[in-house]
Amino acid sequence: MALIELRDVSKSYKRGAEEIVVLDRVSITVPEGDFLGLMGPSGSGKSTLLNLLAGIDRPLRGSVRVGDTEISSLSERALAGWRARHIGFIFQLYNLIPVLSAFENVELPLLLTNLTKAQRRDHVMTALGIVGLSDRAQHYPRQLSGGQEQRVAIARAIVTDPTLLLADEPTGDLDAKSGSEVLVLLQRLNQEFKKTIVMVTHDPHAAERATHLLHLEKGSLVEQTGTVNA
Amino acid sequence: MKYINLVLKSARRSKRRTALTMLSVAIAVFLFASLQAVLDGFDAVAAASSSTRVVTIRSTSMIFPMPTSHVEVIKSTAGVQDVTWANWFGGIYKDPKNFFGQFAIDPESYLRMYPEVMLTPEEKKAFLEDRTGCIVGDGLAKKYGWKLGDRIVLQPGIPQYGSQDYPFTIRGIYRAGSSAVDNQSMMFHWKYADERSTQKGLIGWLVSQVSNPDQAAQVAQAIDQKFANSPYETKTETEKAFSASFASMLGNLNVLLGSVALAVVITTLFVAGNTMAMSVRERTTEIAVMRTLGFPSGVIFALIVGEGLVVAVLGGVIGAGLARLVINPEILQMSGGFIPAFGVNNWNVVVGLGLSAMIGVLAALLPAIMASRLKVVDALRRVA
Repeated sequence: MALIELRDVSKSYKRGAEEIVVLDRVSITVPEGDFLGLMGPSGSGKSTLLNLLAGIDRPLRGSVRVGDTEISSLSERALAGWRARHIGFIFQLYNLIPVLSAFENVELPLLLTNLTKAQRRDHVMTALGIVGLSDRAQHYPRQLSGGQEQRVAIARAIVTDPTLLLADEPTGDLDAKSGSEVLVLLQRLNQEFKKTIVMVTHDPHAAERATHLLHLEKGSLVEQTGTVNA
Repeated sequence: MKYINLVLKSARRSKRRTALTMLSVAIAVFLFASLQAVLDGFDAVAAASSSTRVVTIRSTSMIFPMPTSHVEVIKSTAGVQDVTWANWFGGIYKDPKNFFGQFAIDPESYLRMYPEVMLTPEEKKAFLEDRTGCIVGDGLAKKYGWKLGDRIVLQPGIPQYGSQDYPFTIRGIYRAGSSAVDNQSMMFHWKYADERSTQKGLIGWLVSQVSNPDQAAQVAQAIDQKFANSPYETKTETEKAFSASFASMLGNLNVLLGSVALAVVITTLFVAGNTMAMSVRERTTEIAVMRTLGFPSGVIFALIVGEGLVVAVLGGVIGAGLARLVINPEILQMSGGFIPAFGVNNWNVVVGLGLSAMIGVLAALLPAIMASRLKVVDALRRVA
């Protein structure tokens, strides 16, 4: 069953009088439980594609459907609510809030729910347990290594049990060892917890963890690889 | 409530900056509450002044005296029930720094017309019977540790009263029955000063009791008409107007102090606004991340306004608390000086806190609007 359906999605930006096409009539279908790797050189449109899936950007044309929702037609307010319920986003630079502890960072998305403080605490500790950082709950980002920060960011992304996990170059700022740990974790979330993941990367080693790969170049799909590591 | 931790942690992000912003709001609220208290003090004096008493001074200035013959002339004016008079003495108690009001009064008529000067019957009797006796306000007695029977000596400060010291015996310690009477003053027999004066039979001002307050203006006019074209022309007005004009000798206080307070508040508003804008600008990525996590723009707006509010109100609490502590009648009396007994009251504190809340909200408003309208993709791209 398809979780994501992009139909003829186009996106362009204006730079002065010039119009730069970032995505040109891209159509993708991603089944539920898939681990999709999006590859391509810089400026190929892969991050834009991810942003469209996350509902933080809107297509110029075409349809973006996630589950039963056509997100391109949602209002800003509805999109925010939809993101809170369905999307877990992992950034390249972790983007943890420096003044909040690991626990508080992971708790952040739960503040938008109606959970009680005790329930929030249970969820946070479960998420930190999954990423192996229960003992670092009270540490602040500056007290963590890059790999640990990214794992906290992954805990923040999964704490609401979202429908879809989106990762934008999740290993791009990590050394090989930490990067590998993060990829193992993502793979585990996909296989063990059946999370659908879309990961943008230009690292071939990272791409090997995905079950499917798509290549983008100059805003168009150039090649669709079958199962990579199923 | 679940967002309060987030607001507090954000406010503590740059402790020095937050502390300085808080301090600037604290100073603004301190000044505002203090200046408001000063204005309230003058208003209270004017409000408590009697509307059945009219005050007569020389038309040129109250520093020029009038002859005692004015008393009988005024007494004969229609509508006047009673008349008393007083002189400014201007003596020195040990040191010129020990400044307080000293008035040579006609004791019987003065105490009759000023029931607000509250004495026990025994004190009143003792004072009336002792030509060198005096009465002092309880605030003044407390300041110098005086008690009944104490002897004090004043050195004359105005040449008219000669150069010899004036010894007095404290016969009464009065309580002020209203704000119109200052409890920091001393009063004694006019005759005692007059008999040693080089210019005898002169009085500083006259106070007349009118039978009908509605006719006070007409009576005042009638009094002045009696002395028109004489060497001692007069200016008569109600005690309330007299108090107000006395205050206005210091300039238009309301406008002056109000302008100072307004300038301080506006300056603080800009300082706090600039700080909030700087703080939010530094957090552009964090705000974009929170929006990506699903935080609606309304919540982002409320978080930033909340942060401004918390910082400003905490500053307001410090400022208002300090003003309440420092600007109170007891401390001001200890500091000496001839000023009305005023203090920062609860209302001044409430207004001060309201002002700090307003500063907080207004300072955060623009940054909050900008943050809530932030384009998430653009903000994230700036970092990547």
